[in-house]
Formats: sequence, structure tokens, C-alpha cells
Amino acid sequence: MTAYAEIGVTTNFSFLRGASHPREFAHAAALLGYAAIGIADRNTLAGVVRMYSAFEELKEKGEPVTKQLVGCRLVFVDGTPDILAYPTDRKAYGRLCRLLSAGKLRAPKGECLLTLDDLLKWQDGLLLVVMPPHPSRTVIDTAPPKRFWNKDLALKDEGVGGVSLEKYKTNTQCSFEEVQVLVGKLAAIAPGRIWLGVSMPHRGDDQRRLLKWKQIARRAGVPLIATNDALYHIAERRELQDVVTCIRKGVTLNEAGRLLEANGERHLKTPVEMTALFAAAPEAMAETIRFANRIAFTLEDLKYNYPHEPVPPGKTAQQHLEDLSWEGALRRYHGVVSDEVRKILKKELELIRKLEIAEYFLTVHDIVSFAREGIKKEGVPPILCQGRGSAANSAVCYMLGITSIDPVQMDLLFERFVSEERKEPPDIDVDFEHERREEVIQYVYRRYGHHRAALAATVIHYRPRSAIRETCKVFGLTEDIAADLASGVWGSWGSNLSEAQVRQGQHNPFNVLIARAVKVANELIGFPRHLSQHVGGFVLTDDRLDEFVPVSPATMEDRHFIEWDKDDIDAVRMMKVDVLALGMLTCIRKAFDLVQTHENKTLALNMQAVDPAVYEMLQKADAIGVFQVESRAQMSMLPRMKPKNLYDLVIEVAIVRPGPIQGGMVHPYMRRRAGEEPVDYPSPKDGDPNELHGVLNKTLGIPLFQEQAMKLAMVAAKFSPSEANGLRRAMATFRNLGTINTFRDKFVGRMVERGYEQDFAERCFKQIEGFGSYGFPESHAASFALLVYVSAYIKKYHPAAFACALLNSQPMGFYAPAEIVRDAREHAVEVLPVDVNDSEWDNTLEHSPHGLALRLGFRQIDGFSEKWCKILVGARGNRFSGIESLARKARLPKRAMIILAEADCFQSLNKDRREILWEVRRLADTETLPLFAAQYVEEQPEEEIAALPTMPLSEHVLADYQMQRFSLRAHLMAFLRDLFRKEGIDDCRYISSPADHPFPVSRDGEKVRCAGIVLTRQMPGDAGVVFITLSDETGIANVVVWPKLVKEFRREIMSGRLLVVEGMVQRSKEDVIHLVAERIIDRTAELERLSEDDIEVPSFRSQAAKHLNRHPRNVRVVPKSRDFH
Amino acid sequence: MTKEKNALRLSALDRKATSLGLSIGQPLANARAMLPELKVMAANDGADHKLLERIADWCDRFTPFVALDPPRALLLDVTGATHLFGGEKALLDRIMGALRAQGFVVRGALAGTSMAARACARHRDGFVVTPGQEMAVAAPLPIEALFLDPVTTHAFRRAGLKTIGQVANRDRRELTARFGSAMVFTLETALGKTEKPISPRIPLPDYRTEQNFPEPIATEEVIRASLVSLAETLCDALEQRGEGARRLEAAFFRADGAVMRIAVETGSPTREPKIIERLFREKLDALADPLDPGFGFDLIRLSASRAERCESALADFNADLNAEREIRFLVDRLSARFGAHRVLAFRPNDTHIPEAAGAALPAQEARGTKSSWASMRCSAEAPRRPLRLLAKPEEVETIAAVPSSPPRRFRWRRVQHDVVLVEGPERIAMEWWRHLSPQPTRDYFRVEDSNGNRFWLYRDGLYLRETGNPRWYLHGMFA
Repeated sequence: MTAYAEIGVTTNFSFLRGASHPREFAHAAALLGYAAIGIADRNTLAGVVRMYSAFEELKEKGEPVTKQLVGCRLVFVDGTPDILAYPTDRKAYGRLCRLLSAGKLRAPKGECLLTLDDLLKWQDGLLLVVMPPHPSRTVIDTAPPKRFWNKDLALKDEGVGGVSLEKYKTNTQCSFEEVQVLVGKLAAIAPGRIWLGVSMPHRGDDQRRLLKWKQIARRAGVPLIATNDALYHIAERRELQDVVTCIRKGVTLNEAGRLLEANGERHLKTPVEMTALFAAAPEAMAETIRFANRIAFTLEDLKYNYPHEPVPPGKTAQQHLEDLSWEGALRRYHGVVSDEVRKILKKELELIRKLEIAEYFLTVHDIVSFAREGIKKEGVPPILCQGRGSAANSAVCYMLGITSIDPVQMDLLFERFVSEERKEPPDIDVDFEHERREEVIQYVYRRYGHHRAALAATVIHYRPRSAIRETCKVFGLTEDIAADLASGVWGSWGSNLSEAQVRQGQHNPFNVLIARAVKVANELIGFPRHLSQHVGGFVLTDDRLDEFVPVSPATMEDRHFIEWDKDDIDAVRMMKVDVLALGMLTCIRKAFDLVQTHENKTLALNMQAVDPAVYEMLQKADAIGVFQVESRAQMSMLPRMKPKNLYDLVIEVAIVRPGPIQGGMVHPYMRRRAGEEPVDYPSPKDGDPNELHGVLNKTLGIPLFQEQAMKLAMVAAKFSPSEANGLRRAMATFRNLGTINTFRDKFVGRMVERGYEQDFAERCFKQIEGFGSYGFPESHAASFALLVYVSAYIKKYHPAAFACALLNSQPMGFYAPAEIVRDAREHAVEVLPVDVNDSEWDNTLEHSPHGLALRLGFRQIDGFSEKWCKILVGARGNRFSGIESLARKARLPKRAMIILAEADCFQSLNKDRREILWEVRRLADTETLPLFAAQYVEEQPEEEIAALPTMPLSEHVLADYQMQRFSLRAHLMAFLRDLFRKEGIDDCRYISSPADHPFPVSRDGEKVRCAGIVLTRQMPGDAGVVFITLSDETGIANVVVWPKLVKEFRREIMSGRLLVVEGMVQRSKEDVIHLVAERIIDRTAELERLSEDDIEVPSFRSQAAKHLNRHPRNVRVVPKSRDFH
Repeated sequence: MTKEKNALRLSALDRKATSLGLSIGQPLANARAMLPELKVMAANDGADHKLLERIADWCDRFTPFVALDPPRALLLDVTGATHLFGGEKALLDRIMGALRAQGFVVRGALAGTSMAARACARHRDGFVVTPGQEMAVAAPLPIEALFLDPVTTHAFRRAGLKTIGQVANRDRRELTARFGSAMVFTLETALGKTEKPISPRIPLPDYRTEQNFPEPIATEEVIRASLVSLAETLCDALEQRGEGARRLEAAFFRADGAVMRIAVETGSPTREPKIIERLFREKLDALADPLDPGFGFDLIRLSASRAERCESALADFNADLNAEREIRFLVDRLSARFGAHRVLAFRPNDTHIPEAAGAALPAQEARGTKSSWASMRCSAEAPRRPLRLLAKPEEVETIAAVPSSPPRRFRWRRVQHDVVLVEGPERIAMEWWRHLSPQPTRDYFRVEDSNGNRFWLYRDGLYLRETGNPRWYLHGMFA
């Protein structure tokens, strides 16, 4: 049996060079029986963890694995040939990371500039394989970078390490002599650690060159080592390899010529094949084994290196954590810690001690405490924050104040957060106010230093759209075809394509071309394209981070990110904290502040969620702006769920999700909740008939949460912990999308075998798949449920502050400002217009005769800048007495004045919008520079102005819509009411009012016609149903369009701004009202009448001419609806 | 559709699309969401402009004063031309009728001033404004008809001034202070109160010279001499515009009415009379059927039907450049004599496939190609390609071991060759994207037979991976 270790593997993490995933290489290596396999990607270690994880998975399944060598292909800018570098031990690995970091930190983003001197500096402990290039590769492979990261370099333009930028190139031609000199030099510096790598690329002169290298190696006194310099794991990937090369070079296949490989030989070969190729140099084959044996380093060596800062001197981390936890418990329970809590806390702390992860908790605690308390020292108000995700299962996290949900009360299990079997570190994600997350990030850097803190990477993958687009370009197909394919017109991903092919004739080369492009694009999907920084995932270490993993500069100055994404970090057990941003926290903070200022009441996040009035409001689906439950689907669920306590909200949040919906669990749950169906538990043939009781009792026997699905796998389908782990991972990650199917048979098969109903088993698995696209564990729902309650509480008792805070936190949530304002007015909040004398940039609260009123701020005006606002407010003093004093004091540019006039902000000066607009247009058309300030014409010649036509109300409203997307004056539909009434169209109030309303309302099943402006269009999931919300001056109507109708009225649905919908009213017994559409008519044209009523355009009016000559502002008569797909 | 700010947008629509509610400027994605079966084509502004110019050319027949009003309008100054066509209305109807007959969608109007005509064309199709009535006609039109910039138009609408008449009623100083004098001027033009002359297009340069002979000429010397003098005149004209001719045509009008045309082409722009004369002489000499003057020519016309920019031809001290020029001239002459498709040059093709690596192109055309042979070759290497490549690889019988051994013996054209030396294989895979079905990969061997002859052979197809019985071909011979 011949033994072989492959050391020269380029994966797709050498972006657009390799054509196989690290995982595929791992599997292939195991299958071919390699002694070892080493990934050597181009100046990066980004792919090594993927291969590591792949082998771990194989190990779990008990399949044979191959030893993984961790290394990198160093590509130099000074003409040195490529060198493969493999660290022998942890220390040497650290040096390799330092070397790569150094190269990256001086280079533009995504590049790495290395010279031979850099390598010599860090070579200690590295095994180096010189890879002489083949002389026939004459094509220069890399252009010099356009922009240098390091400013010093850019300024001097002297290049790196004395190498001028002009010479910047990768070595593509290198004589035998040069290689001999280099190898000799290296061998003197690093004796016994230098090899000369040779491959047999089938270029005709392979044997001749092999002998030549043999000679040179002997002269230099270094061994020859065999490699296949592989770019892909199987021969069939040649096509994809050619395509990624073209993408990288920006050429089509036809233009690429010899940029592509001459043949498809760069795949992994069997040891027998390799032996045959290297028949003339068997020692080079033997050397691969000797090489592999010298490497002791594995990624295992990296785990658990947590910062020690949060531990005060003289204490161990574990002690400190225990002290803090007990302190916290006393505070949480006001001095009385029950035995139950005591027991749970002890158990958790014991496990933490065993796993040695106390420092992890302390670090997160440290960050959270800073946001809550520490930041006050800097004279800034505290930042709201709350842990989300599985951390809410932990009592320790609750006691430390990281999470706000009491897991004891909620009956949440710590094992879901940390367990002994799972070898991954815990994962704590903390949400902060989205506008202030930056301050937290700054703190992390301050506290832990740039050398120990960096952001995780996000691997940007090829998605179906980008894959097909790029592939089409390479195939020379036009952008239009690419767009067609991408939009799925020609079938989704191959399955429908072959059918279309058959129809259009198999021998049409055009179709074959397209079929090929689709095939290659399918393979390209999921390929990494480049690395980007994760928004808030921090990696922290106790030792230098750049000895753990190479570090690259991020877009923002002084920010760095590492080469691994969060899954990789988990796999190597490094510490990660997600500093996330949540818009709702910002909104709640703003609302709290407003309530404090204007109503002198102090609110806090940790309120007792028990006020029945708040739940009553939610039961009526009065939930616009409320966190999580404001979508159409949630709003129609609320009256059915009738939430009465916090746990109901937890379910409410979790139930309208792909998992339960795809699993068909929603309706059974609702029926049981309503008492229409008995609560029972599915049971197996034999064994404990109540085995699922413990799993499902909180949700009436219906699995709703991700954890329950997992638990089902273990209890009902008897998954082993490692199988369950695999399933969990398959659910969680994109890259394992394919593997989830392998679990299906196991899951369903075993449940059926044990006597569960086939249908139930299948639904459970469907649900698991649904979780895959958007997982929602119970603990996460619980954390969110609290925010649902808090936001609902504010809405209930402080509606003005709520609306104000919501508007000031835009963009967020489902609803546009228009809806928030309408909702506020319906809740008796007076809303005042934007005004030069009264408004700030943000929306504000004012005391008015009717209580607190909401004063709109300048931020609501399209096109007005915050800078202008500052000038205006700064110049305002007490108040502007008139337009002249405003113009004189503020000296805003003409454009700003026009926008203010258009938005009618001079009402307190008693100026008519039209007149003032005409007046400001006279202003000098420049921003006044200080130098010319004196020339500012203050007094323009008096002008006798004939009166302008008065502005009709409809035009005022229209102008309001154009400037701020809503109007406080009237609803646009009011002006069309007469027209529509004549057509027998009902208003929204008639359709949507509750059945017990005093005036006449529609009945269930009644045929109605309704007209309104489209507020939102939602197309949840891929069910094909479209929800449209129509609005008129009397309220809103919720329209449902079933898929068949969507097809028929697609045009109207997608583009109409004003629709007439004919259909049937559907009232559920909870009085949830929908209008089921049967016919849809686009009446957007009616809106144009509003501005043109008073003008008769003679004779012919062409559509095209109108569109050609309209101001962009005019084209958009009504704000675009908010659409979610 | 066109690309605008990184989004594909609709830039023009046909009637059906308009009636279905699509609009210009709409994002393509949006339009597709409405109509998945929508057919779109990439906009070609250049072609549109060219078409407009061609229509303008065509309009020359009505008046020499035609101005473009891009993107899709023409202004014709028909002052003094209407009577030729039976009056204003008749002229307008005739122009529009003729254009409609050609399949265009046309709107038009005729008025005393260009702006008034333009305003009316959009809103009062086919209307002829009687002189002095501009004001009355324009007043009720919407201000959009003035074609002001969108911001100004919007400002008027906002002010409640929605027709040209309403704007016209305002004090001119008031308008100037807000919108500038250009706007007021446009307004006045539309109202017929003032006019700016249209700027007619500059006609395309026409390089055409001709010489009339009161006495028909028949002798070769005279013909040649007159060609030279015509060429001189033509070259002067070319020089003035900094251009040179790529295609020239000489037309000989015989006294009995027959016309003979002879064309020559050059590889690079030329404006040297001598060269032109020489090229024609080559061509005339090469004519199978010599130019028969019969009773003599009474008119010779020389025209340049294709001209390109050309740097001034100063004598160059650079010998290489001069030599280059000589070669080009030679190529032109040979091409003139034997036809462009008989004088070929080899150009490298960037590909691994041996038989496709070089292509023979007409030498006059080949100069522009990017790649050069230098970049194709690599130094410090044994020759990898044979000196002579067979036009079509020829199958040979071989004795060779599978899977990958070179042949030990082969028979080519009935002659047996014993292989004594061999190197290889050089594995060349076919360009998969060019073929409907997978093509066999070739393993090329360089072999030397016992007589010292060297050949380039290949095995067609990888054993077992692609074929069970690979065949062998001989593709070339080394020196």
C-alpha cells in the first residue's frame, strides 16, 4: 500500500482560485486514504477551520478521517516564488498568523503584501516548501493594488520592504538558477525545514523538469517533495474552475484563452496514481509522509483563551463569578433566594467550573455592566441592553443582569445553553440600542486592546442570484438573460430548465449553453466570495489575537477583523460576544426619556409584565409599532391567541414563524387553546406513553419551539446526542443546507417505527426544516416577549411618547411614519405640523391644551438636512418674528428655504405655502460663504406681485405627501370620495369596524368594493399569498389575495398605489376581518386628478410625454408602500 | 432598458407596454414583477441618435435647415420652402404622412417660431399656427409644453401657474428674478414674440471631386494625370479635416453613357496623392477586362467613401516606422492587385488548442488585433509545438500500452516508424464550453523514430475515463 500526503491544496477560500470546498477536500482525502491533507490557501487561513469541522463531523459519525495539516500558501510581491508554510507547533502557528497579519495590515482590504524578508522574520518553526512556478505560465497573475491601506506606504509610494510597487507582481517566471539560489539561502537559515515542491501538471516536459529539480534539490541539499498542487477535489470540477478563473479575471470563457489551465489534472489523485506519476522520484513521495509526521500542530491547540481582566486580583475567575451570581440573586429576589433558585444556580456554577468557562461569563458581564453603569462615569446616560438567544436559559446570566428573563420562573433549561456533550463554548448575544452600539464597541477596544479584540468575519457567499449573474457574464450571455434566470423566469435551479429545454428543442446550442451556465452556477452557489466583517461579533482572547488567527483591517479605521466566521470560532472554541443592535431598544430608551422629561415618571426595562390593560390592548390587535407583533400575520393572530400573560406572548412571538407554520402546528395549537380539541400527547407503541409530556406540556402537546423539535428527535426518534448535535448544526448553518435531508429519513423512519403517526413525524420534521431558515428557540422568544410587553406598555399609557420615540428611531419596524402618525391620532394624540419656530430635528412632545402633543420634527421632511436644521434652530433664539428675520439670521441656502416652504413650515409666521414658495425662489442661488456674507442681499427690491391662484386643499395635501409622505390636513382619499361613492364603493370603516360598532358595518360573507391607498404589501414566505393593507380617510382594510388571483392581477398588485378591490368580507368568530379579493383594479391614475383638476389640457395627452417631463417628486404622488417579501 | 445608477430601468416603451401601465424610468425589476413575460432590449442611444440623424438627412429634401432636437425631435425651418409643396398644411401633412408610411410614430406642428411649434407638436398634433396666433394657441397649453427643466416646471405648478398663459400673464421681471432670462426667452419664443434661429446640422463631409472633359479623353497618360490631379484635390480636403481615406472609388463616365466604377481599399488612412494613384494603377493593371475607354471618358469622379482620422504624415526619422509604413504600402498594393482575401497574415489566438492557436486574416485587417506572437512564446524551453502542423490530424496505427504509455511503433501513410525517443504526455483538454458534447482530451507526445524524424502524435481520449479504445493521430512534424 502506497502512502501519500497531499500538501498543496487550494480551496475556494483562495477566493476564485480553488473550485472545491474544504469539506469536499476533506471527504475526498478520507476516501482516497491519504495519510494527511494540508490546505494551503493563498495568504489566508480562512478555510482551515472548515476542513477541521468536516473531519470532526466524520469522526462523530465514526468514519475514517485523515490527519489535517494546517498551513498556507505564501504569495509574495517581490518576485519570490510561492512558498507553502506549515507550522510544526502552536508557537510556530502563532508566528504564521503574525506573518499573515503583518501582510494584511499594510495592504488594501482583501489583499496581503508579503516579501521574503517578512517570511525570514517569522520562519522559526515553519516547514517551508518552495513551489517553483512553471515557465509556461507567462501570464502575469496579479495587478498591483490600487490603494494602500497603510497611509505611510501610500504617500511615499516606496512599496513594501524596499520593493518598489512597479515590481509588484507574483512571480510567474523563475529560472532554475534563481530557485536554486533561493532554496540554498533558505536551507542555510532554516536547516531541515526546507523542501522543494514538484508537481506533474502534464505539460509535456514533466519528466525532464522533474530530473532538473531533482538535481537542484540535491545540490542545495534539500529534499524534493511531491504534490499535485490541487485546485479541486474531483476532475469534474474543471468547468467550475475555469469559470471562477474567468470571474476573477473579468473575462468570458471565449476570451480567457491560456488564463485557464490546459487540462483538468489538478484534482486529488489516488496514492497509486501519484506513485505512477512520480515513478522517477519515489523519494519525493516518501517525503510527503515524513513531512506530515513532523507536524504536531492541530486546531485543537487553540481553544479557550479568555480574557482575565474582569477578575479582580486575588480571586479566581470561578470564585468571582460565584460571588457576583449570589449577589445578583439577592438583588433579583430582594434578599430572599428560594431553595429552587439556589439549587439551579449551584448546578450551573458547578458545570461552569467543570468546563472552565467562568471568564467567559465575566467578560460578558463586564461589557453589560459598562453599558448599564460604567458609562455613567463618562457623563453619558446608560445604554439599554438585554441578552437574547439561548443565554436566557441561564440563571447565572439572569443574576449577572445579562438577560432579563428569570429562567426559573419560565422553566427554561440550562442544558440548552451549555452542555457537557456539546464541545462548543456558550454563545451569548447581547442587544444594545442600535444608535449607541458604537460606544459599546469602543469600550471593548479600550478595555481589551486592539491586539486582543477584533470582529469576527462574515463569509460572503455566492447566492443564487449573484452566482447566476456572474456565471452568465462568463458564458457571454447578456445581462437580460442573466436577469431572467436570476428572477427564476426560466425555472428554478435546473429542475424546470430541462423541461423548458425539451420544449424548445434539445439541439438549440443556445439552450445547451444556458443549461451549462445553470449547472455551473448551481455549483458556485455557496462558494465564498470574500470576507467581510461581522456587524458586532467580537472575538476576545487573553493572549495576542493575531497569534490565533490572521487579522485584517476593516473598512473603518482602527478596526480589525479576523479570518473566521462565527461557526469557525465556535469550532475552535474561541470566545465570541455578539454586540448586536436592536432598533426597538433605542425606541424604548427614547420613550423612557420622554416619559421622564414630560410626565416625570421613571420606567425601566425590568417591569413586571402583569398589567391586564396592556394585554387587553394587545388582544384587540391594537399593536402598530409594538415590537414583533405588529406584522399583519401577528395582528390577525393576536385576537385568536388572546394573550393574558408573558408566556402567552412568548408563544405569540414564536408561533408566527416558518417553523411552526411549515410544520402545520399553528392551527392545532389554536384549536387546543380555544378548547375545541382535547390536549393529548402523541405516544409510541411501547415504552413510556407519556414520554412526550415533559417535552410538550407547556405548549398543549404541540411542538412550537426549536428546542422542542430537538427534544422530539432525542426522545421520540431516539437520536443519540451526537446525532442530535449534527441535526442542530445542519439546522443552523447555511453551508450544511444539503445535509439536512440525510436526517429526514432517520427522523421520520424511527418515529414511525416506534409507533408515532407518519403524518405527525413528517410535520415535526418539516418544522425542523422551517427552523433551519429562521430558528426561534423558546429562550429567545422569551427575551423578545419582554420587549413586546414593554413596548406595548408604553403604547398603552404613553401613546404620545411612544409615537414620538418610534418616529425618531426610524427606519425600523413594519410601518411608515404615515401609519404611526395615523395610529397616534387615533389614540387621541394631537399631532402638530413641522414649523420653523417650534420644531427640532427630532420629533418632540409639547404640552398643549389637550395634553401632550406630538410636534413633528424636520427629520420627517424629505431632503432637508440635519446641518440646515442646526443652523436654523441655532439662529432661532426665542422665535423668528417673520420671514425676513429668519432669512437674515439663519441664512439658509436657497434650496433649504425652498424645501421648508414646500413642506409648509412657515405656518406660525402666517405665511401661505404658495406665496412664500414664490418669494423664496427670488433668493440668491448660492450658499453664502463667510467671505461674501457682507454682500448677502438682504433687501431685495420691492416687488409688486399679482396674487397667485389660491392653493386648493387637495394640492396642499398632495404637497404634504410629497414632502413628508403623509398629511395632517386630510387623507388623499377624501378628495376622491364623491367619485368613488358614485361608483358604489364602500369605505374602510364600513368593512373593517368591529361587529359591535354603533353604525352599520359589513357582515361576514358580504360582497363589497373598497378603494384605498396601498400602505403595505406583504408576501410572507413562498406561499404565494399577498397581504395588502389599504387605507382611506376612515381607516384601513386588510386585503388577502390568494395565489391564483395574484397571478391574474399581478400587475395591479405590484404597481398600483391606489387600488379598488372587490371581494368578500371574512369575519372570524374573534372578529378578525379580512377582505378576500376577487378582482383588483388599479386606479392610481385618479391621484393625478388631484393636482390637475383645475387645468384642462386640450386634445391629445400622451402618456409618454407626461412621464418625460415631470419632476421626480411629482412622479411619486403617493409614498411608496412598504413591501416585505 | 438602460443602466442608470446601477439599476436597469426602462428607457422606451412600445404602445402595448404603455397601455399595460409600464412607464419610462421604471426599474426593470419592478416592471418584471408586474409582467414576468416582458421582453426587453438594451437601449442603444448611439443607434437612436443615428436614426434621428438619418431621418434628418431624409428631411433635407424639404429644407436645408434641419436641426436635431435630441433625443427624439427634429426642428425644420421651412421658411420660403412651403410654396414648393403646396402650402404649410400640405407640407406638414406630407412630411408626417411620409414618415408614418415608413412606420414611425410622428407628431408635428408648424408655427412661426421653433418653440411654439415644439409646444404644439406635443399637444396639438398636426396643427398649423397662423402667424400672430401663437399667443392664443400656446396660452392654454400646460407649462410642460415649454420643455423647461423639471425643477422650474415643478415650481410653476406649485405656484398654481399651470398653463403657458398663466405664466405669460406674470410680470417678466418677476419671472427673471426667479428663473433667469433664458426661461423668459423660451417663453417669449413660444408666444411668437421673438425667435432664435435654429442651428442646422453640419452636413457630413463629402469627399468627392470630379473633372469634366469637354473633349472625351481616352489615353492612359491623360487618364492617369487627371486621376492624380483629382487625388490632389481630394487629399487637400482630407487634410483640412485631419482625415485619411480608407476606401476610394473612381467612377469613369463614358461618353456613350456607360459608367465604370473601381474601388480600392487601404490598410490605414491615406491622403497621399501618389499612393492613391499607385493603388489605382495596380488595380487597373490587374483588371481582367481592361478599362475600355471606347470613345473616351467625359467625366471622371474620385470619391472617398470611407475616411478615418489620420495623424499628419510627417516624414519620420525612425527607420522602423518607415519600414513599417513600407510594408503597409506593399500590403495595400498587393491587396489592390490580388484582392484583400488573398493577402493574409497570421495572428496568434490565445488558446491551448494547437490547431486554433494561429489564424490567417486578411493582412489589411489584421493589424489591429491585440495579441502578439511575443506574448505567446516562452523562452528557455524546448519547442513545444512542431514547425509544421497538419491541417487535419491524420489517424495512425500504433502499438502502445494502455492507459498512458507512448507508442512504441506507428504506421503513418503506410510507412512504419519505430519510436526510439519520446517525451510527454502534454495533456490538452478541449474547450468544453464550445462543444455540445464532451470532447476527448488529447495526450500529445513528441517522438523520434529510428531515422531521426520527429513527430507530434496524440492519443485521443483518456483511457477508461473517456474512451475504452483510444485512437492515435499524427498532428505535426518537428524540424
